[in-house]
Amino acid sequence: MIDHDIIVIGGGLAGLRAALEAYKLGADVAVISKVYPIRSHSGAAQGGINASLGSDDSWEGHAFDTVKGSDYLADQDTVEVLCKEAPERVIEMENWGCNFSRQENGRIAQRPFGGAGFPRTCFAGDRTGHNLLHTLYEQVLRYKIKVYNERLVTKLVTDNGKCTGCIAMDLADSELEVFRAKATIFATGGYGRIYQRSTNAIINRGFGISLAYNAGVPLEDMEFVQFHPTTLWGTNILITEGARGEGGYLFNREHERFMERYAKDAMELAPRDIVARAIQKEIDEGRGFPEGYVHLDLTHLGKQKINERLPGIRQISIDFAGIDPVKEPIPVQPGQHYSMGGVSSDKDGRTPMPGLYAVGECACISVHGANRLGGNSLLDTVVFGRRAGMDAVGYARSVSRPDEDELMEAFRMEEDRISGMIGGEGENFASIRDDLQRVMQEHVGVFRNRKGLEHALKEIKHLRKRALELRVQSNVKVFNFELVNALELQGMLELGYIITLGALAREESRGAHYRTDHLERDDEKWLKHTLAFMDKEPRLEYKEVNIGTFAPKRREY
Amino acid sequence: MVKLTIRRQDGNTIWYETFEVEERPGMTVLEALFQIQEKQDGSLCFRYSCRGAVCGSCAMLINRKPGLACRTQLSDARTEVVHDPESENVSLKHDSKDEDKEGILVEPLPNLQVIRDLIVDMDHFFRLVDSIGPWLGVPEDAGNEQTLMEPALQMQIEKYTNCILCATCHGSCPAAERDGEYLGPAALAKAWRFFIDPRNDEEDVGKLLSDIDSHEGVWGCDVVYRCVAVCPKKVPPTTAIIKLREKIKER
Repeated sequence: MIDHDIIVIGGGLAGLRAALEAYKLGADVAVISKVYPIRSHSGAAQGGINASLGSDDSWEGHAFDTVKGSDYLADQDTVEVLCKEAPERVIEMENWGCNFSRQENGRIAQRPFGGAGFPRTCFAGDRTGHNLLHTLYEQVLRYKIKVYNERLVTKLVTDNGKCTGCIAMDLADSELEVFRAKATIFATGGYGRIYQRSTNAIINRGFGISLAYNAGVPLEDMEFVQFHPTTLWGTNILITEGARGEGGYLFNREHERFMERYAKDAMELAPRDIVARAIQKEIDEGRGFPEGYVHLDLTHLGKQKINERLPGIRQISIDFAGIDPVKEPIPVQPGQHYSMGGVSSDKDGRTPMPGLYAVGECACISVHGANRLGGNSLLDTVVFGRRAGMDAVGYARSVSRPDEDELMEAFRMEEDRISGMIGGEGENFASIRDDLQRVMQEHVGVFRNRKGLEHALKEIKHLRKRALELRVQSNVKVFNFELVNALELQGMLELGYIITLGALAREESRGAHYRTDHLERDDEKWLKHTLAFMDKEPRLEYKEVNIGTFAPKRREY
Repeated sequence: MVKLTIRRQDGNTIWYETFEVEERPGMTVLEALFQIQEKQDGSLCFRYSCRGAVCGSCAMLINRKPGLACRTQLSDARTEVVHDPESENVSLKHDSKDEDKEGILVEPLPNLQVIRDLIVDMDHFFRLVDSIGPWLGVPEDAGNEQTLMEPALQMQIEKYTNCILCATCHGSCPAAERDGEYLGPAALAKAWRFFIDPRNDEEDVGKLLSDIDSHEGVWGCDVVYRCVAVCPKKVPPTTAIIKLREKIKER
């Protein structure tokens, strides 16, 4: 058994920031990550991180934009925390070595981003996530914080309703290990790969979220799935909003800047939900290109600006689509990008389960509500990662070391369960996964309706049945990725079901959740958070939204 | 269909296995490996994460050249001629039949111990990089004021912060091949990145130069620019090494 006061699961930005804070406050903390931390999906974030650094900007302005962007579903008390702490967290990252792009006067440069009334997105070229992640990892190295690399957590352990640790599989030899902790911080990221078209890394299967759910923690607002307007046609690799922030235009096949018809003032810089719907509508109504994309044109920006501000985008377009944005427009289409929902947690990352915290994309705090603004997710990771680390230290000091009986019992059960999946006749994970991705893409995407959602629910139920017959053919011990995939597929199916269930129940259109059979936002009935609880079948409940200064208004851009 | 010949390894057993993969336009080597893992042999292992050349997981040897599998198109790789296929006494039949010339050879990244199949011991690589202390030692009581920096200097540093630690450079480096303790191009490029960073304090910079002033450090480099040629992020480690040597001489 491996003992620590605090265990952080996930080595992306939120997890590393939590670990760093806990370490600095004197706790014995360790990180478990299924990849080397610098391979985490945080590193793929491109455009930037928001903070009201400008002398004529304010945290209140940032908060208003965030709440309006969220279609008033964000909790305003947590948004306040996010926006107030933003400048300090960003400058701290700068002090630790993050190589932010600079203005002529040497200060951190900021660019305009969708849905923002002020250019407040700080950036490091178009590789902001990469720079932040490497910087945080360098600080983790500096303090020699223990990282258990390439371990997949397969179960969360509870004792009398408290989280007491987890069981993890070492990918290098497939052996299970017991991790005992007074406090556990989940920072396991999103689930993009349950969709066919996603900007997410292949490892983003949402397994962590499903583990918390299976341990009895409610999931919040899961039906709110962000589709990024501009993903590279073919591979769906992200093309940052920064490309539009720097002045890029969207054109349909008729060379019309169609955003004029959807958001006449904000144009290409309307929030993501609005731009994604606009693009999808152009494509669906035949004004896109036949293969299902529109053009993102940067050619007028010129080679120098593209090389300075969007070098990664240029490289991605050349490498993955054979297109040089200096000379030609980039073919783009909407794709799943981010999960606004997740494990229900508060402004200190606390979930309803004592000893369990959730931060970053796997959590729903909720600062993004029904639609996240670009540049707010990186901010979310460092603000709430730090706060959770801090709170967990206090919590860990207040409780005694958990009893080992439940942990050892869970260990034995996991050993039996996992070894039972190997060998014998049964279906392969890949065919079930492909079917799930297709169902989610077709029926639980940018546009949704009752008929499609009901059909999806039925299909996913059937897939869950098929998954009972899932078998792993490979019995190798050293890096058995077939086994990893099979284990994680179970979680993907659960999340797909919960997202669809929430989307079917919510008979309104709000932010990224758009029902073609219920076109309007309905504050009277639906200004509330969805909570999904584990039962024989997932059970939905609802809770109030925290409304502060900003009363819900019609959302126009 | 395209043929991929993969160097497999399990324990001490090494063999080459050829798989046929259904090719789609724009398909990458990484996607081909997934197709094999999902449809033909679930035991095949390789590391992956982002599939967009930003995370650095999938460095391997493709047609005897180190590169990222996710960034290498099948259509580009299959038209390459593989030089010296017999260098490891392995018969690849690349010269015997015309159709086999279109095959793609996939092997683990060199200069790091193979764990299984295409997975190599990255811990060793990270130990080398971490040994130079690649971080800014900012004092705990530093205020919360941003450091001002010239945009030109920021862009100079950016050339090196673009490194994704994929170890492609390490796999191409003749010095790393000779000497397992040679710090390698990635660590030395990082050393330069911290050397030129104005936020670093003098003491740390001095220690950094001392740490790399050895045959396992900057003096081990052959200056043949192979690392520069293979870097998927256009980081120039050799340039960094030459500049570091100058700084050491100036001291």
